[in-house]
Amino acid sequence: MGRRLLITVLQMLITVFVASLVLFALIRLAPGDPAKLLIGRTMEIAWDAAAYETTLNELREEMGLNGSVFSQYVSWIGSLLQLDLGTSFYTDRSVAAEIGERLPSTLLLAGTALIIQTVIGLLVGILSAVHSGTWFDTVVRLLCVGLASVPGFVIGLVLLLVLAVQMGVYEISSQAALSRLWLPALTMGLLGAPQVVRVVRANLLSELGQVYIQSALSRGLGSTRAVGHAMRNVLLPTITLMGLSFTSYISGAVVIESVFAWPGLGEYALNGILHKDYPALQGYALVMVLSVVVIHLMVEALYVWLDPRMMRRKKEAAHE
Amino acid sequence: MNSRRASYTLGFGVALLALLAGSVLAASWLSPDDPLAMNVGARLQQPSMEHWLGTDRFGRDILTRTLHGGQTTLISCGLALLSAVLIGLLLGALAGMFHGSLFDIALMRIIDVLLAFPFMVFAMVIAALFGTSLFHLLLAVVVVWWVGFARLTRSLVLQAKNSTTVDAARVLGTSKSVILFRELLPQAFGPVLVLATFELGNLILAIAALSFLGLGSQPPSPEWGSMLADGRAHFMTSPHVLLGPALWIILTVLAFNCIGEGLRDRIDPYEKARIG
Repeated sequence: MGRRLLITVLQMLITVFVASLVLFALIRLAPGDPAKLLIGRTMEIAWDAAAYETTLNELREEMGLNGSVFSQYVSWIGSLLQLDLGTSFYTDRSVAAEIGERLPSTLLLAGTALIIQTVIGLLVGILSAVHSGTWFDTVVRLLCVGLASVPGFVIGLVLLLVLAVQMGVYEISSQAALSRLWLPALTMGLLGAPQVVRVVRANLLSELGQVYIQSALSRGLGSTRAVGHAMRNVLLPTITLMGLSFTSYISGAVVIESVFAWPGLGEYALNGILHKDYPALQGYALVMVLSVVVIHLMVEALYVWLDPRMMRRKKEAAHE
Repeated sequence: MNSRRASYTLGFGVALLALLAGSVLAASWLSPDDPLAMNVGARLQQPSMEHWLGTDRFGRDILTRTLHGGQTTLISCGLALLSAVLIGLLLGALAGMFHGSLFDIALMRIIDVLLAFPFMVFAMVIAALFGTSLFHLLLAVVVVWWVGFARLTRSLVLQAKNSTTVDAARVLGTSKSVILFRELLPQAFGPVLVLATFELGNLILAIAALSFLGLGSQPPSPEWGSMLADGRAHFMTSPHVLLGPALWIILTVLAFNCIGEGLRDRIDPYEKARIG
């Protein structure tokens, strides 16, 4: 157990390392000079070419842009080990602090959306599996296909138009207040629900056809209890999906955050792109990759805990 | 019952797609106006007999722009997906053929790393830093999107490798490449086609979302994504500005989803849980 865990964590670290390297290289090799961008903003410098060059060079030195990409990476990793993500080119503040301010609102939104999605998905999925073949099942199927075809921002914009502009029940601002959480969370939850419905329905249907359910039913077990038994085995694929959804919510929230002006990490990244704010983008990308990997690890751990058979299967696979 | 429903779904999807593709391809015949022609006197007009879907902030006819823009959007998304499928097929098949080789192991590690990149983050970084254009956006999509096809092809090839037909071919001394193209890839075709249909819908949605954020094709070219980004500022006062591109995107994705559902039920009903 301990050894397996160690190997998993090591693999995780390697993945994060490689991913961070690739993203770092991409960000730094991109055309465009953030120093020039910054100079244009901070000083209406005289049209003296020589003075401009000197200032630009000094600024580049200060921003750490002068060395090779590799040496820039080494110094970035060096400060990373002291939990320092550098200073934002644009706001001049510590990137770690800025991300720390915004991460909670993104997590809050993603977490709430995940709960909404799971509750709707489980409820509707179970109902449509139990009543499979009825009109209810058909309507759910159609709704799922339809909803999966609509871009998230369209749903968000329409909800915003109706609820905020026309009915005035939703406050338009750019704050991460609890009173503003429900609409973006509901939008994301609705968008994610069809996937859960699908997975729950398909797995529950195949589970209900199994011999153990048939025999339980024939021995007089109530159908509600039988569904309860079957659900234990449906939970595993559902949890996998929840893990996937959560990661895509954290990173994909960019669009919904932008529609509802929710001050999360997505907005931060968009600003970072706009201003070529390398440290901010690197910090953002690192946090994203880290969260994906950590969530994967948590899902795997949950799996082993919920289904002890996984442990044995894993061991067998490792010995092959 | 089930197969009949599958045919209905498939038929509906194909018909819808034909209708949409027809409207887009025949754009210059259906709507001979110039999609770039501005008319400042007719800014942000509501839908009317003259302008069925109204006009945008420069007085350009939105229906005309939607139809003309569809050519760019559909063709570029289709090409991007095709490249992703081809790359995925090739790499996946090779990894499956040489299962356990250094190439296979390296490919799987690369896939792991790519899967750890949240797609949106990656696309945003590439598209934005290398210059916001539809081409860069598509490039970013292809770099990430082949992974799913590679994994599917690899697992299908691994499955097919153990079949008796492949054993027979090997015993007869058929070369590896012939086995790959004659025996293994044809078996992968169906499931890959199903996945590709669904993924084309997803790809159109992803491109639309990123373009909506302003990372895609830039004005004034009529393209669904850039029309969305452009109309966004006026949506709260004149909601009709997004109706055209949004409707065409929704219907296109719906058509692909229906085709995918229908094909999946038809090709292998038992694959359902695995692919979807």
